[in-house]
Amino acid sequence: MKHICVVFRHAPFGATSSREGIDFALLSASFEQQLCLVFTDEAVLHLLADQQPELAGSKDYVSVFKAFDLYDIEHVLVCETSLQRFGLTLEDLAISAQLASSTVITEQLQQADEVLVF
Amino acid sequence: MMKKFIIQVNGPAYGSTSSYKALQYCQAVIAAGHQIEKVFFYQDGVTNSSSLNCPASDEVNLYQLWLRLANEHNVPLINCVSAALRRGVLSQQDAYESNKAHWNVDAPFVMGGLGELVTGIEQADRFVSF
Repeated sequence: MKHICVVFRHAPFGATSSREGIDFALLSASFEQQLCLVFTDEAVLHLLADQQPELAGSKDYVSVFKAFDLYDIEHVLVCETSLQRFGLTLEDLAISAQLASSTVITEQLQQADEVLVF
Repeated sequence: MMKKFIIQVNGPAYGSTSSYKALQYCQAVIAAGHQIEKVFFYQDGVTNSSSLNCPASDEVNLYQLWLRLANEHNVPLINCVSAALRRGVLSQQDAYESNKAHWNVDAPFVMGGLGELVTGIEQADRFVSF
């Protein structure tokens, strides 16, 4: 088992990298790796409620986020600075996530065996 | 001391230089006496495996360079099959199953699942992503 940190940096639906990153994260979790997900920059927008990915011709991979618990993905960090930049708070998010300062995110990256950025 | 590497290629065969850098990195890893456990192609990286890529004869042929790496150093080249199918990158078996008349992936490139990336990361000493 390895400690894998998956970092999301892109806005939803403009590119497909997040969708394929989520696929990787869920697969890693089902292979019983220790996972930490970090949403930063525009990727924090993935976590907003009431999204309609179909309107952008995208598969609804966002609703999968509610299943993170089922996959035993406990560590979901949201970059505090990025949220503030969009005028958002944790209450705006559709899933429960941990507000993280850049220091906390740095610690997670240092603790991880491998880091993947999508 | 020899280390085992797994390399992930996410960039396209043409349009960005990341795949070429990945290839050069693999060559450097081998030259330094280390081992490449596998090269895993994900996202747009799967386009590296298309035998239909036809760059002009005076340009770099990345497809041929991957083939040479695989043949000379016995490096497994593995596509994420889901990422590949979405992008029109199919093996003969995929073409048969999807009822298509054509395919563009042949050995030494093979189709595999994301699980092979995860187990590869687990077994390798170093994971490097391009």
